[in-house]
Amino acid sequence: MLKILVCVKQIPDVDLVKMDPETGNLVRAGVPTLTNPLDLNALEAAVRTKERCGGRITLITMGPPAAEETLRECLAVGGDEAVLITGRPFGGADTLSTSYTIVKAAEALGKFDLIFCGKESLDGATGQMASQLAERFDAAQISCCLTIEDIAEGRIRAVRALETGRETVEATLPCLLTVEKDNFYGRLPSLGAYLAAKTAPITVFDETSLPGLDPARIGVPGSGTVVPKIYPPELPEPGQIIRTGSVKTDVGRLVSLLAEKDVI
Amino acid sequence: MPAYNKITSAAAEELRACVSTGRFFFGGEADPNYTHDEMPIYGRFMPEAAVDVETTEEVSAIMKICSRYKIPVTCRGAGTGLVGGCVPLYGGLVLCTRRMNRILGYDMENLVVRLQPGVLLKDLAADALSRGLLYPPDPGEKTATVGGNISTNAGGMRAVKYGVTRDYVLAMTVVLADGRILELGKPVSKSSSGYSLLHLMIGSEGTLGIITEMALKLVPNPQCDVSCLVPFRDVESCIHFVPKVRLANLDPQSIEFMDADIVSSSAAFTGSPIFPERVANTAVGASVLVTFVGTEPDELDRRMIKLGEIAKEAGALDVLVVATPSNKKAAWSARSSFLTAIEADTRLIDEMDVVVPVDRIPAFLLYIRSLGEQTGIRIRNFGHAGDGNLHIYCCSNDLEEDEFKRRVKIIMDAAYRRCAELEGQVSGEHAIGHAKMAYLRESVGEDVFALMGGIKKVFDPDMLLNPGKVCDRERRTSC
Repeated sequence: MLKILVCVKQIPDVDLVKMDPETGNLVRAGVPTLTNPLDLNALEAAVRTKERCGGRITLITMGPPAAEETLRECLAVGGDEAVLITGRPFGGADTLSTSYTIVKAAEALGKFDLIFCGKESLDGATGQMASQLAERFDAAQISCCLTIEDIAEGRIRAVRALETGRETVEATLPCLLTVEKDNFYGRLPSLGAYLAAKTAPITVFDETSLPGLDPARIGVPGSGTVVPKIYPPELPEPGQIIRTGSVKTDVGRLVSLLAEKDVI
Repeated sequence: MPAYNKITSAAAEELRACVSTGRFFFGGEADPNYTHDEMPIYGRFMPEAAVDVETTEEVSAIMKICSRYKIPVTCRGAGTGLVGGCVPLYGGLVLCTRRMNRILGYDMENLVVRLQPGVLLKDLAADALSRGLLYPPDPGEKTATVGGNISTNAGGMRAVKYGVTRDYVLAMTVVLADGRILELGKPVSKSSSGYSLLHLMIGSEGTLGIITEMALKLVPNPQCDVSCLVPFRDVESCIHFVPKVRLANLDPQSIEFMDADIVSSSAAFTGSPIFPERVANTAVGASVLVTFVGTEPDELDRRMIKLGEIAKEAGALDVLVVATPSNKKAAWSARSSFLTAIEADTRLIDEMDVVVPVDRIPAFLLYIRSLGEQTGIRIRNFGHAGDGNLHIYCCSNDLEEDEFKRRVKIIMDAAYRRCAELEGQVSGEHAIGHAKMAYLRESVGEDVFALMGGIKKVFDPDMLLNPGKVCDRERRTSC
């Protein structure tokens, strides 16, 4: 039976997050949260794998206690068990300390044959976690996976997207995969699974219960990067819509504007 | 036989003087979009002039001039109609309310909002929501104006629980054809005070007067909501499920029907296959999307469990839950895209918007399907199953337009007759315009149709307002 790990993350709704112009900090208070959409694509790939080959899916996330909502959402669409890593010392972690913590928790649960991750999270968008996790798990990595063709005898064969085409690759297990979202659109939960997920048990690790954890390698102390400032990107000038109600006038105005800019 | 006058230079100058610079267009300057609505197959008609109005007083002054010169006036909002309701069949003046787009204020103690008719539905909904309030009417076209919604008595998805636009209009300011300004209704919840001219105005499609301000009723926004997608093998079992949901006292906010074809088109258009085409290794023939609102999640869970039991008995393939913000967004944007998805991949489209008793939906849909097969016209449909309102689209990419129209007429003639046999109505929410007038006449009969015409003449004896629409079949000449 395949042991499958799926890494998921609860993020603020990035469309609603605003920036405090004074401090440059992101204002997350009161902003609704959601499960990182690309993680749901990874979960869908894992669920299809389980349906085809058998297996058991473990969900893992690190975050505040409210991240339990994300785990329950994922349990409803195919996860079998869920693990939440939470505690103040984990706060402020960058990808280096997050990947360390996730792997420590996963090791406490046993060995995994397949690990699925979203390509990136829509809030941080570093895209670093998958590769860091593969390295720490000492697993092969197949990124940008389009289809999983076969899993047998400790090997996986998959097709991955390239900028100019596709390639079929094989790897030994354990293997970490990130997937292309269009090929793994997430499913809606069945009512029974949705209701069961509401009360399903969730394993919770904190800094005291996670075996073998080095406090110097978690949270801010374990982070290799510092974010001194966050600022919004400079946006180009907004376009101008010419709509006087008369096509003749509109075209005339457009032509003179283009002439002013020396475009024509 | 009324005779209209062309807009002369003298009349144009008088009209131009009613508004500030840049809002009156004459002699080919009018926006070409004013020649049609979103169903261009019903023809294009160029106005002689157009005006963007901003106030009741401007509308009154303009109507006084048009009344004096006998110039026909067609009122227009966002032009999102589907029955040729806002097109100037007889030329004349198009009076556009798109600049009357201000929300004038809220009475938070009585839950009333006052606004101008050009406010877009989506803007009113968002503004009310920011105050914790809900404007319940929810037609699919969110960029329609609220004035247009009132003029057509638009319904939408939430009608199962909340009713239609008519149920939320408390009062309005109206300009008559001769320029008089009337105040109809009061911001109160009951009235037994003579004939309701307010309700006569609602759904009159700009043929009786021009609405320039409204007071609408709002309700507190429900604290939580969830939807269930219930897929079935075929349309028949899907639709037979609907009355069972209503009988179970589950108080759904909406029950939306979608067949496999429209789901597939929507997925291709939006790139978001949120509604599955296969469930439990079985092809889905049709689904309903049932939405519940309430104050407590546990209460919604109880209703969903009951729904699940009914669905199982009815042979549903599964019950899928739309509960997360992402899934809700995807589901409702897919549902809202149905018409746009059809428009995107279809060259020739005609539509009907019938409403039949809920238990007769399968009979009507089966009949329509057979008409499509007989005539070689692709039929696509979706609609508000909870209230029997079906949107049925006749589509073709291959036929010449004349041949398409000929075949569609065969379908329409037969379908509206069948609708009448099933005790249905010609339109649930898109209204009559000029496209469905003959079917309205056939449906209501000569006596009722003549009474409608008589009412029109009381309000507008010179037949200046939106001529050729709803019940106005008089031929006219232009001098």
